[in-house]
Amino acid sequence: MGEAVTTSATRTDAVRNIAVSVRRVSMAYPAVLAVDDVSFELAKGSFLTILGPSGSGKTTLLQMIAGFQAPTSGEIVIAGQPVQSVPAYQRSIGMVFQRLALFPHLTVAENVAFPLRMRRFDARTIPGRVERYLDLVRLPGLGNRRIQQLSGGQQQRVAIARALVFEPDLLLLDEPLASLDRKLREEMQLEFRRIQRELSVTTINVTHDQREALIMSDEIIVMDRGRIQQMDRPQRTYRQPANRFVAGFIGLTAFLPVEVRSVREGVARLRIGGAELQGTVAGDDTLLPGGAAEAALRAEQVRVATTGAGLRNLDTVLEGRVEDVIFEGERIVYEVLVDGFNEHRVRAFDHDPALHAEYPIGAHVFVGWNVRDLLVFPA
Amino acid sequence: MTDRSKAVVLWLLVGFSVVTLSAPTAVIIGASLTSGKIVTFPPDGLSLQWYAQILGAFDLRAAFLRSLYVATVCTLIALPCGTLAGIVFAKHRIRFRKGIQVYLLLPFTIPLIGSGVGLMLVFGAGGLLGSLWPVGLACCAINLPFMIWAVAGSANALDPDLEKAAANCGAPPVQTFLTVTLPAVMPGVITGALLMFILALNEFLVSLLLVDSRIVTLPVLIYNSIRSIITPDLAAISVVFVVVAAMVIAILDRLVGLDIFLKSK
Ligand SMILES: Nc1ncnc2c1ncn2[C@@H]1O[C@H](COP(=O)(O)OP(=O)(O)OP(=O)(O)O)[C@@H](O)[C@H]1O
Ligand SMILES: [Mg+2]
Repeated sequence: MGEAVTTSATRTDAVRNIAVSVRRVSMAYPAVLAVDDVSFELAKGSFLTILGPSGSGKTTLLQMIAGFQAPTSGEIVIAGQPVQSVPAYQRSIGMVFQRLALFPHLTVAENVAFPLRMRRFDARTIPGRVERYLDLVRLPGLGNRRIQQLSGGQQQRVAIARALVFEPDLLLLDEPLASLDRKLREEMQLEFRRIQRELSVTTINVTHDQREALIMSDEIIVMDRGRIQQMDRPQRTYRQPANRFVAGFIGLTAFLPVEVRSVREGVARLRIGGAELQGTVAGDDTLLPGGAAEAALRAEQVRVATTGAGLRNLDTVLEGRVEDVIFEGERIVYEVLVDGFNEHRVRAFDHDPALHAEYPIGAHVFVGWNVRDLLVFPA
Repeated sequence: MTDRSKAVVLWLLVGFSVVTLSAPTAVIIGASLTSGKIVTFPPDGLSLQWYAQILGAFDLRAAFLRSLYVATVCTLIALPCGTLAGIVFAKHRIRFRKGIQVYLLLPFTIPLIGSGVGLMLVFGAGGLLGSLWPVGLACCAINLPFMIWAVAGSANALDPDLEKAAANCGAPPVQTFLTVTLPAVMPGVITGALLMFILALNEFLVSLLLVDSRIVTLPVLIYNSIRSIITPDLAAISVVFVVVAAMVIAILDRLVGLDIFLKSK
C-alpha cells in the first residue's frame, strides 16, 4: 500500500521540480521529541534556512536528511527517491559540518579530492576538478597546504569545496559560520550565496542567526521545540510572523499584554492600562472581544521624537519617558515607558544616527508607529 | 610562593627525576666498560673486552635473536587485536563495559607469576610448550591492555563528525575506517606497538615458566647466569638492551616524528 502511494508521489515530485520533500517526519529520543511531525518541500535550486533556538531540532532534522540517523516515523524523498533504505554514503548530499570536520591528515587538495575518489570519478579528471573547485571558493594554488596551515575562513572554503566538488543533488550546512567572527561571517554569507547561485545547487542551511537567515535564503523555516512554526519567504517571515514565537524570535520585539475591545476587518481595537490602541490581527487568528491578547511591536518600526509634529505621518502617536538608552554603535535602542501603559515598555531604534542626537534617560519624548506594524496575537 | 622559588622547586623535581631515572643506566654503562673481572662502579680501568666477549658468545647471540623474535610475534598479534579493541572500546557504548574495564586493569592487579602459571597450564594442555611463538602470544596476552589504552586514548580524541564526513563524501564503512579512523588513531597504534615490542623484549617472569633450555630468551639467560656469578658481560648485555630500545625510538622518530605523540590530543 505504502509502495503505491510513494510511487505516485515520487512522480509528482519529478514533475513539480521538487528536490527534497520531508513528509511527516518525527524523531523521538527517550526523553524528548526532537523533531515533531515536520513536513516541507523544497524546489530545485532554492536556498532554505532552518532557523530556531538551541535545542529546537535543527541538527536532528539535518542529520536525518543526510542519513546519519533514521527518523522514528515519516518519510524523506530526495530527487524523487525515498531514501530511508539508502545509507548516508550512497546519498548524493554534500555537507558542511559545524566544526568543518576536514581530514587533518590530508592536504587541502586531498580533502577536496576525497569525495571524488570515494565516488569513483575517473582518476584522470580529479586533479582538474579539484583545481576548478578551489578556484570557485577562491583558494587557487593552496592545494598542497596542510589543513592546519589555513586560517579559519580558508578552512571554511575548503569544507565548501569538499561538499560541492562531486555536484551533489543537495547541499546541507549545519551552522558552519557560527564559530567565525562577525566580519568574516558576513563575508562568508555572501560567498555562500554567490556560489549557491553560480551552481544553483539546492541548499538547506541551519542557523540560529536571524540576520543570516534573512540575508541568505529564498525560504525560511522557523522551528521551535521540534515543530515548524512558519515556512515562508524572508520578507513575509519578517513582516507577517505566523505566531507569537516567530514575532519574538525575529527582530527586537516588545510584547504588550492587551485586552481586545472589538475586531473589524483585521483591525483590532485594544486597551492596555488606561490607553486605547489599534493593531492588526496577525495571520488568520481569531480574537474574541473582551479576551486577552498580546501585541507585538518591533523596535525598528517605532519612531522617537521630541515633538508630536515630528511623527505626524504615523497612525499612533503617544507620549512617554525614556527609561533606558542602549548604545549599539550604528544605532541606539531606547526603552520608552508610554504614559498609561503601566510598567510595559516600548522599544525604539534611533533612525537618524547622522544627527548624533541622543535622548537622555528621563527625557520626555513622543513615540509613534503604524497600525499595520502592531501585530496582535491571541494570548 | 614567588615565581622564582616555584621555578627552583620545579627544577629540583625535574632534576631528581632525571637523575633517578638515568642513574641505573649510567652505572651499568660504566660497569660494562671495566677492564677488571668483576662488576664495579666506577669501573676499574676502561676496555671493550666484555663487549667483544658477548659478541663472541654464541648462546647470548642466539638468545638475543630469540627475544627479538618473541617481541616481533607479540607485536604482530597485538597490532590488529589491540587496535580494533581500542577503537571499539573508545567509540561504542558496548555491553560488558565494566567487565572490560576490569580486564584492562589486570596488568596491575594480577601478579605476573599468576598469569605465567596459568598460561603454562593452558599451553601445556595445548601441547604448545617447547616452541617459541607461544611465548610471543603469552607476552601479548599479558600486556595487551597497554596497547588498548594507547589506541583508546587516540580514538577518544577523534571527532565523531570526521567519520560522518567520510560517509557523506561517499565512503562505505570499511573505507571510512581505513582512510579516516585508522590514520586518526595511528599515534596510539604506534605508541602501543612500540610499548608491546619493548615489554616483550624485556619480558622475564612469564617467559621463565614457558621456555626450556633449548629456547631461552635473553632475559631468562641473564637470570640463569646471575645465579652463578655476576660478571661484567651482563652489564654489557644490558647496555645492548638500552641501545636497542633507543634505536627503536630513533627509528620511530625518523618514520613518523616524535611530535606526533605531543599532538595526539
Ligand atoms: N543523541 C541524542 N540523544 C538524546 N537526545 C538528543 C540527542 N541529540 C539531540 N537530542 C535532543 O534533541 C533536541 C534537539 O536537538 P538538536 O541537536 O537537533 O537541536 P538544535 O536545534 O540543532 O540546537 P543547537 O542550535 O543548539 O545546535 C534537544 O532537546 C536535544 O537535547
Ligand atoms: Mg545543532
